[in-house]
Amino acid sequence: MATATASTPVRDTGIGALLRRRAVVKLLLLAVVAAVAVPILNAKWASGAWPEALTVDVSEPLTKASDWIIDNRDSHWLFTYFFGHISNAIVLSVRGVYLVLLAAGWAGVTVAAGAIAWRVAGLKLAALATAAFAACGLLGMWVPTMQTLALMVVAVLASVVLGMLLGLAAGLNDRIFRMMRPVLDTMQVLPAFAYLLPVVLVFGIGVPAAVLATVVYSAPPMARLTALGLRGADGGVMEAVASLGATARQRLLSARLPLARKELLLGLNQTIMMALSMAVIASVIGAGGLGDRVYQALSTVDVGQALAAGIPIVLLAVVLDRVTGAAGERLGAHAEDNSPLRGWRGWSIAAAVTLACALAARFADRLEWPTSWVVQIAEPVNTAKDWMVDHLYTGVPVVGGTADWAAHFTTYVLDPIRDGLQGLPWWSVLLIVAALAWVIGTWQTALTAVLAMAAIGVLDVWNASLDTLSQVLAGVAVTVVLGFAIGIAASRSKRLEALLRPVLDVFQTMPQFVYLIPVVALFGVGRAPAVAAAVVYALPAVIRITTQGLRQVSPAAMESAQSLGATSWQQLRQVQLPLARPALMLALNQGVVLVLAVVVIGGLVGGGGLGYDVLAGLARGDLATGLVGGIAIVCLGLMLDRVTQPTERRAKKGA
Amino acid sequence: MSDTATVTPAADAATDAVFAVRNLWKVFGPKAETVPGNAELTGLDPVELRERTGCTAAVRDVSFEVKKGEVFVVMGLSGSGKSTLVRCLTRLIEPTSGSVEIDGEDVLAMDKNRLRELRRHRASMVFQHFGLLPHRTVLDNVAYGLEIQGVARAERREKAMKVIEKVGLEGLEQRRPGQLSGGQQQRVGLARALAADPEVLLFDEPFSALDPLIRRDMQEEVVRLHREEGRTMVFITHDLSEALKLGDRIALMRDGRVVQLGTPEEIVGSPADEYVRDFVRDVPREQVMTCRSAMRPVDSDADEDTKGPAIAPDATVSEAIEAVARSGFPARVMDGARCLGVVDHEQLLGVVAGVTPKGAAGRGGPAAKAGPSIRKEVTGEVAS
Repeated sequence: MATATASTPVRDTGIGALLRRRAVVKLLLLAVVAAVAVPILNAKWASGAWPEALTVDVSEPLTKASDWIIDNRDSHWLFTYFFGHISNAIVLSVRGVYLVLLAAGWAGVTVAAGAIAWRVAGLKLAALATAAFAACGLLGMWVPTMQTLALMVVAVLASVVLGMLLGLAAGLNDRIFRMMRPVLDTMQVLPAFAYLLPVVLVFGIGVPAAVLATVVYSAPPMARLTALGLRGADGGVMEAVASLGATARQRLLSARLPLARKELLLGLNQTIMMALSMAVIASVIGAGGLGDRVYQALSTVDVGQALAAGIPIVLLAVVLDRVTGAAGERLGAHAEDNSPLRGWRGWSIAAAVTLACALAARFADRLEWPTSWVVQIAEPVNTAKDWMVDHLYTGVPVVGGTADWAAHFTTYVLDPIRDGLQGLPWWSVLLIVAALAWVIGTWQTALTAVLAMAAIGVLDVWNASLDTLSQVLAGVAVTVVLGFAIGIAASRSKRLEALLRPVLDVFQTMPQFVYLIPVVALFGVGRAPAVAAAVVYALPAVIRITTQGLRQVSPAAMESAQSLGATSWQQLRQVQLPLARPALMLALNQGVVLVLAVVVIGGLVGGGGLGYDVLAGLARGDLATGLVGGIAIVCLGLMLDRVTQPTERRAKKGA
Repeated sequence: MSDTATVTPAADAATDAVFAVRNLWKVFGPKAETVPGNAELTGLDPVELRERTGCTAAVRDVSFEVKKGEVFVVMGLSGSGKSTLVRCLTRLIEPTSGSVEIDGEDVLAMDKNRLRELRRHRASMVFQHFGLLPHRTVLDNVAYGLEIQGVARAERREKAMKVIEKVGLEGLEQRRPGQLSGGQQQRVGLARALAADPEVLLFDEPFSALDPLIRRDMQEEVVRLHREEGRTMVFITHDLSEALKLGDRIALMRDGRVVQLGTPEEIVGSPADEYVRDFVRDVPREQVMTCRSAMRPVDSDADEDTKGPAIAPDATVSEAIEAVARSGFPARVMDGARCLGVVDHEQLLGVVAGVTPKGAAGRGGPAAKAGPSIRKEVTGEVAS
């Protein structure tokens, strides 16, 4: 019933009034339900937090399951014949790729990166790629970079194959598509942290678990975009191909797949970016490489080391994103490629140059990155950081210091919200969730949200979840205020937008993990830095969606408002914002999802809450606690997504 | 084959028919297959049918034959079922009931392979929105049909090049469809259909998406191709002037039915009902009607069989007007050495005005409903 209201943006007072009436009707219904249920519930289980009587202790069965798995890992057929083979195959292939990368030497890899970028994306990006890899070496991070790269190569290949297969099935079969779509949609809103524990449960800490978590996390976009691309094939072309007597196989291979090549490349791009993001986070379950260096450095608050490992991550992200993105754009462009280096000739030149460089380095005995070329940035950075601690953290006249800000934010914003949430009677939290989700979405989304929230209570992680929720709410509030303000400003000024674009581009490609480094440098550890990292991570997507939404408001409507003599404030309030409502809702939804993802990771820098549960569970080998934390994260993510989910969901990527 | 056909033409009568369509129905919607057999439902008009059953009958009980070498035009406004009809011929849309034969072979009974053979070698289609593969060059697009037939690369490219030359696209073969104008893209579509050297070409509103000037060029291209190769063509259009220009015979469709089937002259000269009459009202008759239908018997007293300009029976009235105006005498309609009749001012003006003058041999011109009107020179399209 709410479909109609959301699909037609509030255009006139008639629909607006109807919408308001509908919201009122829903709230009234909910109030009636509450009036009946609350006294009963309150009489039976009167307590602020989730009542003990309604919890189920899952830690015992989970511990048992986990113990059983550990005991039987080497003996049970399920492991020896199935998981064991998967695990071995992963270890072998990652090892193999790693050895190849090492054998090629730093010269070979750097030149190969440049050559590939040259062929698929042009000279400019070739220079960028070469420089980026050289920088990784200069920072003394060559070996960890290769470890991360090896893991990435295996994980991305597996994700692409898996994603393409799923996408093919969903793209060619309506029923599979209808079944798969909600699953993929949901997977896309879950924080990366939630994927870690189930794989650890089965595979233990190590490279196989890390690769599998990465594959599970990064295959959905490939599957989703493959399916959408295949389904979106131009009907006219498909009909023409059929009219020429093509077989089903020919139709798929020579028409449907090539027609979807843009979506396929976009899927590849997203899969690579998500794989990198996860490969770094998976350092907490034994991925090794760059992420591990950052993780180790952060746990000792060694900002210099963290930065030295963080910069290669960012460089890798930027290079991978730009190169795959440019390859996609090249396909779209109709420029005639008449250069003599077209096709195999160019590629063979690239291969020859790479080979020559690799061999030269090998014979010059320069396979490893020379230690004399390493620039140690850790120490100067740490000196700078110490200076900051001494001079900026506190006692700066008038403005205070960064540590003061963080402390104030914790005391005056985070604590009241957390205490307020935890002080609320448990049933009122459920009611608020139901009301919000129902007013914004449909009764289905409301039901899912309430059930997810209730599940958190049943799992007995009510307080930790509300702690995380309080951080998310504070983070979202800041993100939305800043994001909408900057977004509105950017939509009104082309100069500001042009200025912001490259910044947003870089920010949106960086893995979540990296954001923790600067906030730790600025604010130390605790909940405030976790929220700050979350805000910085979510802000670009919110700004971008807001700007696009406002820009897409029909020019005819804007023109008519202008011609009627509306002031620019009136135009914004009465025309742009109402018409851009779906985009703004989407921005809010994305903001919530992204903030949650980083707040949870904030457990690494003392953010507490569910993220801490997961990490503590991993660190202590207490998988039950970790798993419950992971499930609670999933529930919280589902709840937050459904509460902010407008009925008409756009197939859009937030980050 | 369906038995619903009431008249089964003698086998030898159908030999020169490429396509023979009998009692064809295409109904979209739930339980569509029950509609054609149900006498109560078939009598309903489209709105009633949709209300009663939720079905839409796109093609209703259509029968016709396409003769070898002719250009058979199916014409109608949008929603009249003409595009569905042409897709039923090669089963791009599966007909609900009725029969379709190609060279006497039942198309609806064909299995997958046989049908594929039909589409590959016997009937090729040109589409309104071209349906080109954007990632292939013009050459590879034209060769695509041969490629899926399994023709070797060198051979198919050679064949494709020949067709590309034929449709006037030399020099563009390495471009991609996105770099071509609409008219050029449709030439690629035409070349792709020709490359397989099919027995029949099916055109589905091929020029509707083109600018008027380019459309005229393309129409002339089709006329030229037909003259050179004599290939059978089935041409779908919503543009009356295009239908009159290209068609040897025209089937005029309305709400899924064929309301009139005949030569352009028959359609314009003797519309079957009010709808057709309305449709052809603004057609410049003198450009469609021939002298054969406009002439009157020779009045030998007036020496008409010996003087005056000679003109062929198939010449249009507008040609006769020019001849009469130049010479000042009635024109003799000559079939070889035999004089069939004459046309003079009275007959010619009658055709232009849409009234039947006394003594005309024509098959009853349109009733003078349109009234005598002073007609300016009519050019361009009429019904689009």
